[in-house]
Amino acid sequence: MNPQLKGVEKLEGTYLFDLATSAKALRLNRFFHGFTVPGNRALFKEDPEAAFDKAGLTAEERRMLRELDWAALIRYGASFFCLEKLGRVKGVSNPEMVAAFRGESLEEFLKTRNVPGAR
Amino acid sequence: MAKILGGIGTSHVPTIGGAYDRNKQNDPDWAPLFRGYEPVKAWLAQRKPDVLVFFYNDHATTFFFDHYPTFALGVGAEYAIADEGLGPRAVPVLKGHAGLARHMADALVNDEFDISVFQDLPIDHGVHSPLTMFWPPSPDWPGKIVPIEINVLQHPIPTPARCWKLGQAVRRAVLSYPEDLKVVIVGTGGLSHQMNGERAGFNNEKWDRKFLDLIARDPKKLVAMRHADYIRLGGTEGAEEIMWLAMRGALSPRAKKIHQSYYLPMTTAMAVALFEEPQAKAGFKER
Repeated sequence: MNPQLKGVEKLEGTYLFDLATSAKALRLNRFFHGFTVPGNRALFKEDPEAAFDKAGLTAEERRMLRELDWAALIRYGASFFCLEKLGRVKGVSNPEMVAAFRGESLEEFLKTRNVPGAR
Repeated sequence: MAKILGGIGTSHVPTIGGAYDRNKQNDPDWAPLFRGYEPVKAWLAQRKPDVLVFFYNDHATTFFFDHYPTFALGVGAEYAIADEGLGPRAVPVLKGHAGLARHMADALVNDEFDISVFQDLPIDHGVHSPLTMFWPPSPDWPGKIVPIEINVLQHPIPTPARCWKLGQAVRRAVLSYPEDLKVVIVGTGGLSHQMNGERAGFNNEKWDRKFLDLIARDPKKLVAMRHADYIRLGGTEGAEEIMWLAMRGALSPRAKKIHQSYYLPMTTAMAVALFEEPQAKAGFKER
């Protein structure tokens, strides 16, 4: 246990990205990191199943991606900063992703914000 | 000899660069953000530093988890703007000060700070999202940068105390560079935000304001805190505030905070603070 993180386990709804999580979701996060290359984005847009095959993703990983199940992806071990690249490719904004993590609609989430138009 | 004029702490959320790119300065939802950076922009235009040394974090863009550096110093002469999924921002290629950076690598390693180095890699919004607010290209950048990446994504991440010591070592490295360069130190990240789980969207303005006070008045209090404290008070991504500690550690104890701004429109508290070193008198050797 990292002594710097003692107590974090008490925070509800918080998923720390540590080495165990990183190892579990390495293939999935590498797939997202690949979206920094235009050719990988094009393949994913044109033929997602071929892109999943190329990345060797599991059935569970493919289901979460097909359904854009943001909350499940984070729980599974996606790094938010990798997932953010999937958001850009799919045209989904960070506030929409955050709303999904919270189990809220975008409209519900924006009501909790100081400046809902600042997007 | 090189000297340090002061420091800047700033958030780096991508929407800051996005607001600049979309010319949102007159949009009421974004105008307060632009106003907050104006004094920093004016100070830099007046003091004309040659180099900004950046403590920042990458967002699994330049680096991936197959080899994620805890600390990495950029030693290149150029850094492309990274493609984060939408193509690169339409701003010029960042210019690196390779001479200072190579000297810093030598100085840090001989100071027992065994930092890794990188070159010929693109850099993401961790550096250039806030950069355009206070050092805009017109048409090219006003000067050069030296980027120092800090891992805040994959735990274990460096302790607050280690980041402070890195800042102190960077100060020694910069001040021992023989060329007459004017340098400003920048730390990017924070303030409160969390981008995962049901707690996503967490903010804590009270803690953010206390952080802005302590970083100027009593940074040792912040250095003594653990990551668990930062995460509880400021969210998982509030841990990015350790990059402000590295910046503050690179300044002298006499540096004064001369401006700050705070704006919390959406999910990330957007803050900027400007620190100035006492102006060196003629013949006075700043240490």
